[in-house]
Amino acid sequence: MAGEASARLSAPAYFISVLLLTLAGFGAAMLARPAFGHAVLQWAGLEPVPRAVPGSFYAVRVAPLFRDHCIGCHGETRQKAGLRLDSFAEVMLGSRHGAVVRPGDARHSELFMRVSLPPSDDRAMPPSGKTPLTDDEATVIRLWIADGASPTVPAGAVKGAPKLVTPVTIPELDLARAARQRAPLAAAVEQVQRRLPGVIDYESRDSADLEVDASLMGPRFGDAELAMLAPLAAHIARADFSGTAITDASASALAAMTGLQRLRLANIRISDTTIRALSSLKKLHSLGVSGTKVTDAGLASLRQKGVAIYADTDVH
Amino acid sequence: MSIETASEKTVLVWDLPTRLFHWCVVALVFVSWLSADQGWMTIHLASGLTLLALLLFRLAWGIFGSTTARFSNFLHPPRRVLGYLKGLKDGDRLLYAGHNPAGGLMVMAMILVLLAQALTGLFANDGLHFNGPLALLIPSETSDSITSLHRLIFDAILLLLWCHVVAVGFYLLVKRDNLVLPMLTGRKPYSHLPQGVNLAFTRLIIALLLFFLSAGIAAWIMIEGASLP
Repeated sequence: MAGEASARLSAPAYFISVLLLTLAGFGAAMLARPAFGHAVLQWAGLEPVPRAVPGSFYAVRVAPLFRDHCIGCHGETRQKAGLRLDSFAEVMLGSRHGAVVRPGDARHSELFMRVSLPPSDDRAMPPSGKTPLTDDEATVIRLWIADGASPTVPAGAVKGAPKLVTPVTIPELDLARAARQRAPLAAAVEQVQRRLPGVIDYESRDSADLEVDASLMGPRFGDAELAMLAPLAAHIARADFSGTAITDASASALAAMTGLQRLRLANIRISDTTIRALSSLKKLHSLGVSGTKVTDAGLASLRQKGVAIYADTDVH
Repeated sequence: MSIETASEKTVLVWDLPTRLFHWCVVALVFVSWLSADQGWMTIHLASGLTLLALLLFRLAWGIFGSTTARFSNFLHPPRRVLGYLKGLKDGDRLLYAGHNPAGGLMVMAMILVLLAQALTGLFANDGLHFNGPLALLIPSETSDSITSLHRLIFDAILLLLWCHVVAVGFYLLVKRDNLVLPMLTGRKPYSHLPQGVNLAFTRLIIALLLFFLSAGIAAWIMIEGASLP
């Protein structure tokens, strides 16, 4: 009895042993199930969560297929079979039954096997009733896995990939909205159109923004004509005054065109004075100043703002 | 049989149905886990329904069974459970013929969690082509939610199993009280029993009748499920 009693473990020793055994068991489970191991390490912040690089084959070609065909059942809200396909990391963690992607081995990857089965097969994915992947789409998945299931390989680097078909959606024209926006301007636009035929019009059928092209009038369009545009200045998005007779005297009139995005001032008698006035235009992203007295120094501040400058060798 | 005195006189404390229930549950929990993990869903269904039948039986046996199997014998108020645990820490040797208050709580928790697992399994699906026998009675979204719960309850089962094994190990290695052997043989050393204990054993035929009744309920669920479109 005394000998047996001395063989007893103390409670602290027992619980420390239990703790160590539990940790060892947990470690063994992580080794036996790599996906479980990765999930635990990623959850604990001990392993970086792999992410697909924008522009990679995965991001451009593979992820959209999962989004369109799979994440209804394998996404954030539902995880059938414990599988999520809504991020690269989740795809690589696999399902409750293990990895679904074996990098470099598409034929033995559960994911490719399932999407390439005929729809009549019970194991085919997406299941019956859902739109199956096309042959090209299945090929994209096969090539991605065969190429190493990488999150970084660029979209164009996977050889043999079927051509990417990008659906083009043409938005409906909202003419009623455009008419409402044009209403306050209509009278002024008509007046300018009468006085300066062919110089001003709306940018497009469904827009209230205006486009000015005075270049056709050439020298007949000067500072006085530009002043006629004053009531509409804030609505002018594009303007071309190339070859006209406007001068630095119109600098303030141009600066009042606060909605200007593209402006052409080629072959006219303007200098850095006008350019300085343009520096207040916040939307301006393109400026043409070929054949003017504008200098590099004058353009510096616009260049700094990211405005694309189109000049020629005449720029000093 | 005690570790201290192998030749000591022993007394029957656990009846056969209680012991069979215990070890069958051990086997069925393992089979259920393995079959779900491997995608052997027909086996999973069979083990789940058998587990359900056993749990229903155990609920009935907790009312009509032998003394140590009865809930009234091993369910105690929380204060008494805490008192028992405190006594354990202080080295008191409190004797119980059946489950001690902490063990009784564990048994009840295990039965309830396993029952929840078996019942949620009836309405769950494997996300592919397998549905629990009653899953088609409810919308698929509800079935998916119940499936998530089914998975969560399994984690609770693992936790309870871990606690159970750690507790049994504690009694074996620290308190030198082997709880496993009596659950196999049904017998405890006389010295491990409180004085004047009087145990009554319900007849086996009652256990059989209760089990057939429980199995009948599980079978009815299966048949009803099979008749669903």
